[in-house]
Amino acid sequence: MVRHDRLLLKYILPVLALLVALVYFPLVKGLITAFRHYNLFDLRDTSFIGFDNFKAAIGDKTFSFAQIFLNTMIWIFASLLFQFVLGFALALLLRKPFKGRGLYSGLVFYTWALSGFAIGLLWSWIFNGQFGLANDILMRLGIIDSPIGFLSDPRYAMVSVVVVNVWYGIPFFGIMLLAALQSVPNELYEAATIDGAGRVTRFFKVTVPFVAPVIVSTTLLRMMWIMNFPEIIFGMTNGGPANATNILATQMLYKIYKEYDYGQASAISFMIMAILFAYSLLYLSATSRKERDF
Amino acid sequence: MKRIVLVVMVVLAATLAISCGASNGKVQLTFLEVLTSPERTAMINGIIADYEKLHPNVTINLISPPYESADNKLTMMLNNDEKLDIIEVRDYTLRQFVNNKKLENLEKRLAAWSEGKDLLPIALASARTADNIAYIIPQFFYIKALFVRTDILAAKGITVMPKTFDELIADCKKVTNKKKGQFGFDWRGKSSEFKFSDLIQLSDVPNIDPNNIYKTADGAFSLATPEAQAALVKYVNLFKDSVPSDGINWGFNEQVNAFISGVTPFLIQDPDTVSLVDKQLGRDKYTVIPLPVGKSGKAVVDYGFASLGIPSYSKHKDAAWDFIKFFSSAKENAAFCKQYGPLPVHASTYADDPFFSTGVYQAWRTEMSDQDHYLFVKYPLGSEKWPAWPQTHEQTMQSLLLGKISPTEATAKFADYWK
Repeated sequence: MVRHDRLLLKYILPVLALLVALVYFPLVKGLITAFRHYNLFDLRDTSFIGFDNFKAAIGDKTFSFAQIFLNTMIWIFASLLFQFVLGFALALLLRKPFKGRGLYSGLVFYTWALSGFAIGLLWSWIFNGQFGLANDILMRLGIIDSPIGFLSDPRYAMVSVVVVNVWYGIPFFGIMLLAALQSVPNELYEAATIDGAGRVTRFFKVTVPFVAPVIVSTTLLRMMWIMNFPEIIFGMTNGGPANATNILATQMLYKIYKEYDYGQASAISFMIMAILFAYSLLYLSATSRKERDF
Repeated sequence: MKRIVLVVMVVLAATLAISCGASNGKVQLTFLEVLTSPERTAMINGIIADYEKLHPNVTINLISPPYESADNKLTMMLNNDEKLDIIEVRDYTLRQFVNNKKLENLEKRLAAWSEGKDLLPIALASARTADNIAYIIPQFFYIKALFVRTDILAAKGITVMPKTFDELIADCKKVTNKKKGQFGFDWRGKSSEFKFSDLIQLSDVPNIDPNNIYKTADGAFSLATPEAQAALVKYVNLFKDSVPSDGINWGFNEQVNAFISGVTPFLIQDPDTVSLVDKQLGRDKYTVIPLPVGKSGKAVVDYGFASLGIPSYSKHKDAAWDFIKFFSSAKENAAFCKQYGPLPVHASTYADDPFFSTGVYQAWRTEMSDQDHYLFVKYPLGSEKWPAWPQTHEQTMQSLLLGKISPTEATAKFADYWK
């Protein structure tokens, strides 16, 4: 038995070492930084300052934390909802074979391969309030008289960046859900049809329960990614105008790239982690109960 | 097993040889640039190739991180004492490298360098920005001037160029026809937008301290003076009257685009914009004139620079200095600036090469020589409050332009920040 345990230990040791070196060590180091005065501008003083970094981030006079938090929630849930619904619809459309389906799926899923910054820059031109394509099309169609400041008007800025994020994220759900849908046995549909189930009933009683585990895991994953995805906002609005599109992740990047304040950035990153952790626990406990109901 | 050990040893030896940078008696220098752009990187590689031809025992490895993250990458590498011998230091990053004792003092080397005496006074002053010690050798200057679309103004009947900011603002209003998509002033709304508002606001204040643009000679906070507050209202009105509302989100690219497409015929920019505009527009459609002056009779002009330095821990300081001398020589510096756009650092270049004293470059020559009208000023780059200032200013200014706060409240926020 002892020999067996040792053997086991040998097997898991490399992975454990990698995990410690690449995940836990940086994590702990980051946590320590969050409690230190750590600004690259001047590293002569890196003393421990308790919760000052957290207090400074939350009590920021220029960047209202309440607004950043609200922005983050809108950014996550609006993006997630539309990405999921449209991605699911796309997967359903692509499930039945048709001529050129491979090429078509390739084209549709292509956006998923682009970098966030590149997308941000591309769309910032499309949404440009003066020479943008979006304004040009809307004006030619006679829908608007004068150009809309999609990225310069706080009323539209958040909607605009969410639209881009949705555009970017649909293929992810499309790919994952299409794979799940293709594994639903046809016999189930046949049996359901014989029992007199219509399209809607089949969808909710056969399709959805069968792909439910995939839905749970993909939405959870995606929520985490969206929360940690500042690139599009960075490329399009810099968090502006006047804080209107600033989220926790962009604020964290500001602290690193512009202010060199790694202490405050670490503090914000731990808030992000805490939120994600709490959310994951809640979400998984809620959905596991629901899965049992099916 | 033996074979594996042998392979590991060979790999280790090879890595060691490379990291020591001294395989076969050759010196290998590592050079990191920060203002990366494809054309500029190609130019630097050209200079490196020329240098390596003249010095066969030296090879120079150029690292070109993407522009957005380059300063951070450099900071991280310096703080970990990673192999670097020549680094590009900007006015913005100099203070932190000096604070963290990462830069070599170049005073002795500068004193012994024959071409050092040819450096412009402004270049020498910039070299000694931190603690009055030359930690760096400036390579290029960025100074703002007024780009003007002469073709559009002529069509509107404006032939006399504005000499004051008030005249400029009046011209902008005259040109604007919002219904036709014609506006006057090329606004900067994000990414260092404070450089534009400060210029217009603080040129109205009579006694700015040249060593700190945010102070007056008697020590008051310059942005809170009555003149600056009045000018802030003027600046907001300029936005309302003569700028597309989208300008609030404009950075450098949008500015250049608005100028080239003719949406806004007045643009305040640095000399490296010249080559961009030349390529897309041509000099028959635009010109560059010296900045207008404010109510103080002067324009407060800040100057940015990029420079080269040697990390304090470099093992090849002499070799690195030799390359910096080559790179910074009047000949190489002038050739580089001609292609890339910014202003060169040697006095002889301006005297010998008509390129930098005629045509559009005349505007900068005037600004640099006319001390009655142009006051060169510094930002408080050494202050620990500096790094967070640009974002704070941007958010506050955007709130002001959107009407969320009043000019008085904005001024109060600025004053509170610098308290």
